[in-house]
Order: sequence, then C-alpha cells, then structure tokens
Amino acid sequence: MTFAERMLRIDRRIIFLLIGLCTLLPLLYPVGLAIKVSPEVRSVYEKIETLPEGSVFLLSMDFDPASKPELYPQAIALLHHAFRRNLRVIGMTLWLPGTGMAAEVISTVATEMGKVSGRDYVFLGWSPGGSSVVINMGQDLYKAFPNEYFRHEPTKDLAVLKGVRNLRDVSYVVSLAAGTSGIETWYVFGKDKYKFELGGGCTGVIAPGLYPLLRSGQINGLIGGLRGAAEYEVLTGLKGQAMAGMDAQSATHFAIIVLVILCNSFFLFIRHSRKQSDQR
Amino acid sequence: MPFEALLGAWVATGLTLFILTFLYKDNPFFKLAEHLYVGVSVGYTIVKTYDTVLVRLIYDPIKEQGEWSLLIPVGIGLLMLARYFPKVAWLSRIAFAFIVGVGAGLAIPRIVSSYILKQVEDTVRPLLYAVEGGGTTFTVDLTDPASNLNAVVLLIGVVSVLFYFFFSVEHTGPGRAVARTGILFLMIAFGAAFGYTVMARMSLLIGRLSDLIVFADSRYGRPSIWLLLITIGLLILWTSRQTERSPDGS
Repeated sequence: MTFAERMLRIDRRIIFLLIGLCTLLPLLYPVGLAIKVSPEVRSVYEKIETLPEGSVFLLSMDFDPASKPELYPQAIALLHHAFRRNLRVIGMTLWLPGTGMAAEVISTVATEMGKVSGRDYVFLGWSPGGSSVVINMGQDLYKAFPNEYFRHEPTKDLAVLKGVRNLRDVSYVVSLAAGTSGIETWYVFGKDKYKFELGGGCTGVIAPGLYPLLRSGQINGLIGGLRGAAEYEVLTGLKGQAMAGMDAQSATHFAIIVLVILCNSFFLFIRHSRKQSDQR
Repeated sequence: MPFEALLGAWVATGLTLFILTFLYKDNPFFKLAEHLYVGVSVGYTIVKTYDTVLVRLIYDPIKEQGEWSLLIPVGIGLLMLARYFPKVAWLSRIAFAFIVGVGAGLAIPRIVSSYILKQVEDTVRPLLYAVEGGGTTFTVDLTDPASNLNAVVLLIGVVSVLFYFFFSVEHTGPGRAVARTGILFLMIAFGAAFGYTVMARMSLLIGRLSDLIVFADSRYGRPSIWLLLITIGLLILWTSRQTERSPDGS
C-alpha cells in the first residue's frame, strides 16, 4: 500500500482530533485576527443607527437552543445596540422551544443596560400559528399577544407599546432565524403587506438561500452565522462570544481546506498511478 | 454561585461530553444523552403549549372576559381528534379542509408575489431601460453602474439553470452548452452552500468548546475536567466489556 493509499484510509477519528485541536487551541490562546465588516451586516447596523430615540424595534428570535452558538451572540449584539440607542424594544419568538432562551437573553441584556420591562422593552413570548401570528400582528398586535411573557400583564397597558397598534407602527424588524418560521415568513406575510423595514440574522446553513432576498431589497441587511455576529460586535464595540470564536473559525477552515486539497491530491495521484500500471 | 447555575454547568458539561463520545463510536452514553435531549425537548414543548395555548389564549380569556367565541376554533381543533374514532373519523376532514383552505389562500398569493414576481423583476430590472415616448428596452451597458456585469451573470445563471431543468427538449448542440453552463452555476451554488454549512457546524463546535472552557473554571468546581476524566473512564470500561463479550471485535 502506497503512502497516498494509506492516507486516504486514515482513521476518521484522527481527523476529528485534528479539527478539535484546531478549534480548542485558538480558543485557549487567541491571536486576534482582523475581522472585516461586510456591507450586508453594516446595513443592519446603520439602519438602527439612523432610527430616532423612542422608535419601535422588534427583534424576533426565531431559533431554538440547537442554534444558540450562532444566533445568541447576534441577539446580544443587536439588543445592546438597540438599548444603547434608547429604542423601544419588542422581543418575541416564532419558535416554541426557543421561548425560554429568548426570554433569558432579553432580560439579561436589559438588566445590564438598566432597562425596565414594560417601560423600555417588552417580551411577548411565543404564540401558535407561525405565519398566522405575523398576519395577526399586522392587523392587531394586542390580539396576537394579549399579555406579555414575564408577569402576564395586558400588553395594551404597557408604556413601551404606547402608540403601537400593529406592525405598521414598528420602525424596524429583525428576525434571527434558524429556518422556517423566520426571515422569509416575516417578509412574505409581514413586510410585503404591512410595509415595515426588515433585516435578518441567520445561521450559516440557511444564509446562501437568503442572499436573493438581500439583493432584491426584500431585506435591507443580513447577519450570517457566527461570522456575521462577530462583524456586528466589531461595529458595536462589544467584545462578545462571536469575536472570541473567530480565530478558531479561521483555524478550522484552514485545516479543512488543507485536508480537502490533500485528499484530492492523493486521489488524483492514485488514479494516475493506476492508469500508468494498467498501460504497462 | 447559585445552586441552579452549578447544577446547570455540571449537567450541560456531562451531556456535551456524552454526545461527543459518538466521535469515537456509537455507545450507551451517547444514546442516554440523545434520548434525554429528545425527551426534554418534547416535554418542554408540551408544557409550553399547554400553558400558552390552553391556559393563556383559551381558558383565561373565556373565564375572565367571557370570550365564548373562542370555542369555535377549539371545536374545529377538537374535530381533528375524531381520526382516532373510526365511526366519526370523517369529521376530521372538516378541520383539515379548513386548515388547507385557509393556509393555501393565505400563502399562494403572497408566495407568488414574494418569490416569483419580485425575484423575476429583480433579475431583469437592471437590464431594462425606459425609452422616450414610453415603454422599455432591453439593453446592456457595462459602463452604467445600474446595468452592471453582475446583472448579466445573474441573468445567464438563471436562464441556464432553468434550461437545465427543462427536460422536454433534448440537451444537444447549443442546448448542451446552455445546460452545461447551468450545471456550472449549480456547482458554484452547491459549493457556496457547503462552505456556509461547514462554517455553521464549526460554529456549533466552537460554542460547545467555549462552554466547556468556561465550565473548567474553579467557580463551577471544574466539571469539564472531572467529567472528561469520568467519561473517558466509562468509555474505556465499556470498550473492554464489549471486547470481553466478543473477542473477535465484531
């Protein structure tokens, strides 16, 4: 057996170990590689920057704990930014399993920033229906969510929702999505009909499918995966989980590229050798 | 450190390590963590659905505000359960007909508008020019930023990929060249999607390892270190027992 053949039959656990080390070592000993901000992430940031104080910002955290490493840092960065700009924040989720996590992130960041539930922000929780919830909110937000999540207070009595009847009164909506229901649901059943500005944040897996919406202006910006979260942290000046993970991300990508090139080289070498031996 | 935070750290660390043992090979510790994950997810969903839907959206409004009209959707929903009783199973069709009818009515116009009309408009709009006296003309001017090279590439990509999936005409001659261009665009799209998927999966690994590093701290009682040693020990024990049972390793 040649060296190339041995390499192609290498125990897959050695590759797992290599990838594990490439992830672990940069997390323990960060290098601090530069992070370049992409235009699609900057668009979301600049939209929030241009909103006047007291504008209504709706963050729909449409993900569950399985997507936490990618979307939780995005939620933290966006909430920090919105609270710092003194926007009125409405939090909610279209994903039932993510309700507890969404409630935790909004209350934690709000407490850090000295914001009060009911006055500066509200968490509406989850309501059944997916796309129907968005349509319902477009008609009457108080019918879709009669009570807020934490103390079950009637939403129509909350100071933070003063002057807000439906989605037309919301200045900017951002959906952080791990799939459906998510950004597309908000566009198709919300923005297209009720004419509010929409931005998105998503996991890396679904990001390529959302770029057509970005190009056509159906969403104004897109924060893609952990990388997008790191870019947003750079813009807001927040040293969060995403930036800490970027060195590990770069190292693992480099390792995977090297492995792909090596495997293909070995494969081509073996095929070339076999052809030559067949000709003899 | 509150007790619930400590307990959470130990449970999260243990389950993460048990799940990662699958990288070695399938084993009972991985299965335990996997089944716990499924069970907890289902349990959480049932409890939250009961609390949010049955209590807060149905029972409370009927009891406190006398909104008896809510019993109509409740009745339609209950018809679905008729499927479990063969004699009245036909009643469930009413509920399904309602759901399919309303769902299709809401979704079809919006999806056609958002995904087809809007996307087709965006594909050709950069190449269309208004002409004097009304109407439009279809031209390409690469010096005009509004009619850029990207728009041309996009149009070629859309047309060639659509042609590749058009099976009523044999892909020979010029058609073969167009179809092969379509394949090229598809390969690039699949490559981009795969790249993003790799990035996403690595992000999940980074998330778990970051938590393990945090939980290696003495404030938590170093669960990452202790549970790693215990997991390795359990795995060695299990492997040796497996080998004893089947010495040939099968």
